[in-house]
Amino acid sequence: MAEYKRPESLKKTPSGFCPGCMHSLATKLIAEVVGEMGQVENCVHIVPVGCSTLNLAYWQGDVLGAAHGRAPAVATGFKRSNPDRLVFAYQGDGDLAAIGLAEIMGAANRGENFTVIFFNNQTYGMTGGQMAPTTLIGQKTTTTRYGRDPETTGYPMKMCELISTLEAPAFVARYALNTPKGCKDAKKAIRKAFEIQKAGKGFTFIELLGNCPTNWGLSPLQTLEYMESNTIPYFVPGVYKDKYKDEVK
Amino acid sequence: MAKVLMKGCEAIAEAAVRAGCRFFAGYPITPQNEIPEYLSWRLPEVGGVFVQGESEVASVNMVYGAAASGCRAMTSSSGPGISLKAEGISYLSGTGLPAVIVNISRGGPGLGSIQPAQQDYLQATKALGHGGFRAMVFAPATLQEAVDLTYNAWEYAERDRNPVMILMDGCLGAIMELVEFPEMKEPDRKGTKAWDLNRNEGESRNARLLTPYFPEAILELKNTSQKKMIERWAQNDVQVEEFMVEDAEYIVVAYGISARVSKEAILRLREEGHKIGMIRPITLYPFPKESFRKLNYEQIKGFIDVELAIPAQMHDDIELEVKGRAPIYEYCRSGGLLFDDDGVYAAVRKIIDGGAK
Amino acid sequence: MKKSLVISGSGGQGVMSAGIMIAQTAVSAGKYATFLPEYGPEQRGGSAKCTVVVNDDEIISPLMAKCDTLITMNEQSYKKFATSLKSGGILIANTSRVLSEITRDDITVVRVPADDIAVELGSIKCANIILIGALIGADAGIITEEAMLASLEAKFGSKKKEVLDLNRTALAKGIEYGKNAKA
Repeated sequence: MAEYKRPESLKKTPSGFCPGCMHSLATKLIAEVVGEMGQVENCVHIVPVGCSTLNLAYWQGDVLGAAHGRAPAVATGFKRSNPDRLVFAYQGDGDLAAIGLAEIMGAANRGENFTVIFFNNQTYGMTGGQMAPTTLIGQKTTTTRYGRDPETTGYPMKMCELISTLEAPAFVARYALNTPKGCKDAKKAIRKAFEIQKAGKGFTFIELLGNCPTNWGLSPLQTLEYMESNTIPYFVPGVYKDKYKDEVK
Repeated sequence: MAKVLMKGCEAIAEAAVRAGCRFFAGYPITPQNEIPEYLSWRLPEVGGVFVQGESEVASVNMVYGAAASGCRAMTSSSGPGISLKAEGISYLSGTGLPAVIVNISRGGPGLGSIQPAQQDYLQATKALGHGGFRAMVFAPATLQEAVDLTYNAWEYAERDRNPVMILMDGCLGAIMELVEFPEMKEPDRKGTKAWDLNRNEGESRNARLLTPYFPEAILELKNTSQKKMIERWAQNDVQVEEFMVEDAEYIVVAYGISARVSKEAILRLREEGHKIGMIRPITLYPFPKESFRKLNYEQIKGFIDVELAIPAQMHDDIELEVKGRAPIYEYCRSGGLLFDDDGVYAAVRKIIDGGAK
Repeated sequence: MKKSLVISGSGGQGVMSAGIMIAQTAVSAGKYATFLPEYGPEQRGGSAKCTVVVNDDEIISPLMAKCDTLITMNEQSYKKFATSLKSGGILIANTSRVLSEITRDDITVVRVPADDIAVELGSIKCANIILIGALIGADAGIITEEAMLASLEAKFGSKKKEVLDLNRTALAKGIEYGKNAKA
C-alpha cells in the first residue's frame, strides 16, 4: 500500500482554510495529480481572488496571482505564449460565476488549452458569506437574510450545464467532495483534464461541489449531509461533455 | 529602411512588433481598431500571438498573463476601454509586470465621441487605476516619434517592472505620414528575467510566486520602492521639446497634435516679431518640471495651455511649477472638434494683445 | 511649397482612397505628405472628408484652417466646405452631384460631371480618378501626371488590363477638364 504523504506540490505550511473546509481537500487532490504526473516544475497555478487566494501561500510551484474573476484571461495570456506549461486556474463560485462570467465563457468558447477547476460552495467565503450566483434557493447568507428569493435574485447558476452548451470545450464534469467516492472520481477527472491539456486537445472544466462550514453555520460533518440532501440534487454530479471519450482516458 | 507612408495606429503596431512584442490582446473600439486589426495578421507572421478578448478587462488580463512569462505584451484601447483596463493596469504595477498600454484618445466623459481629443491626460498621469501607482506616459506628436517611443517603451517597462502608457490622440492615430522603422529586435525569451515563470532549458530553480497581494510590511516596502522609482524618473527619464523658449515672453504648453498645430502658429507669430516659444512634454509623466523651473520669470508674460480638452487638464501641472509667477491662459477645444493653425494663431494673438483670459 | 487639399463627399464615393492615392503619389515623388481622414460613425453613406497636406519639407501641422484646393463630390459637402477654400484656390466640383450655383469669383472653378463621365467610361468607381485628373490639369501643384500614372500602374497593374486602361482614360479626361478650366 502506498504511503500517505504531503503532495510535492504543497509547501510544508499549515493550511489557513477553516477546519473542515473542502478547499483543503480540493487543493490536495489537484496537488496529488500534479505530483503523480511529474509536473510540479512544469505546472503554473493561476490563483484568483477569494478563499482560493490562500493558495498563494501553500502551492509549491510557479504561481501567478490574478485579479478577481480574471484567472481564465490571465491563463489565456500565459498559456498562449507558453504552450508547453501545464496551466490551471482554481476559482471559487463568486470569482467564476459572477464577476468572472465573461472571462470563463470567453476562454471556454475559444477552447483555450488549459484547465479550470471550479470550487462551488455556494457562498463568498472570504468576504463573510454573502450570496453567490450558486447560492441555493432559500439558503440564508449575509445578503439574503431570509433565504435566497428567486423573485429578486434569480436561480443558482449551473456552470457545467452552461459551459457544456459550447462547441469548443473538451471535457466538462462535476463531482461532489462529500464522500470518498466523490473525491476519488474528482481526482480521476482532474487527471483526465490535465492529460487532455497535455495532449493539446483544448479547454477542460472540472466543477467540485464543496462546503463552507463557517458561513453555512454547520459543523463539518453536518455539511456532508447538507450537501447530500440540498446541493447534490440541484447541482447534479456527472460528466457533461467528453469530446475525446475514447482517446484520452 | 526606406520611409513608408503609414497610418498612426498601424505604425505603433509595427513598431511594437519590431520591439519584440509577441503578444497582443484587445477589444474593438474606435479610433484604435487598426492596431488590433494590423496585429491580428502581423503577429502570427513572426510567431506571436493575437487574441481578440471578450472585453477590455479580459484583454488587459491576458496581457498580464503573457507578461508573466517574459513575453513582451501590449494592449490598446481608447478612453472608455482604458477605464475598463484600469483594474488590470493596477495589477500589472502591483505584481510588477512590464507591459505597454496604448490609448488612442477620443472625446469624453462617458461614451463621449469617437472623434479625436486629449481628454485622458489626468487619467493617464495621475491614476491609471486604483492604489496610487504611477506609470510613465509618453505622448508622441509625430508618427516617427510614435514609432520610436513605442519601440523603446518596453525598455522602461522591463527596467521598472511597471506598465508604460503611450497616449496619442485619435487624430494622430488616424493620420498617415512618413515613418522609418527601426530594426527588428528578436524577443528575449530565455527565462532569465526576474518576473518570468519560465526556466532556461535544463535549469532547475525554486518556484516563483508572482502575486498582486502583499502582507502589510512588504506592501509598504513595495510602495516605498515605487516612490523611489518615480523620483528616479523625474531625475533621469524626462523627455521634452523646448522650442524657442530662450527669449520667449509667452510660452505655449502643448503635447501631441496640439503641439504640432501650435508650432505652426508660433512660427507665424515669430515672423511678426512676437516672442513666443513652446514647451512640449513628450513624457507627460514624469512631467518636465525642470523646463519651467529654469525659466527667467522676469521675462515671461504668460503661459498658454493649448489642449484638446475642456477644462484644460495639464493646467494644474503647469501651475505647480509656475507658482503664480505668470498668468496661465488656456486655448482649448473638445468634443472631437480640432483646432487649426489659424485658430491657435488668433487665440495667442488675442492674449498677447491683452485679450481675454 | 506646402499645399493642402480637402476632398469631401459621402461614404462610398472614393473620398478616402483618392486622398491616400494622392498622398502616396506625392511621397513616391520625394515629397512629404500627411493624410487625415474624418468620418462619421456610420459604416456606409455618412459624410466623408479627408485632408491631404503635401510639402517639400517635414510637415509641422497637418491641420489647416483653409485649404489651397478643394474637391467636393456632392452637394452637401460643397455647401459645408466651400468657404474653407482660400482665396485664389482651386475648387473642383463634381457637377453630377454639386447642383448649387458656384458664386465665388476669387477662385478657379473646375466643373467636372465626374459621375456621368465615369458611367460613360464604364464604371462609376473611377469618378474619383477623374477628379484627381482635374486636380493635375488645373495645376494645383500637388502631384504630377507622370507620378499619378505610376501610382495607377502600381495600384491596378496586377489586375486586368481593362481596369488599368479605364483608370488611365479617366485620369486623362479629368486632366482635360482641369486644363480647360485653368485656361
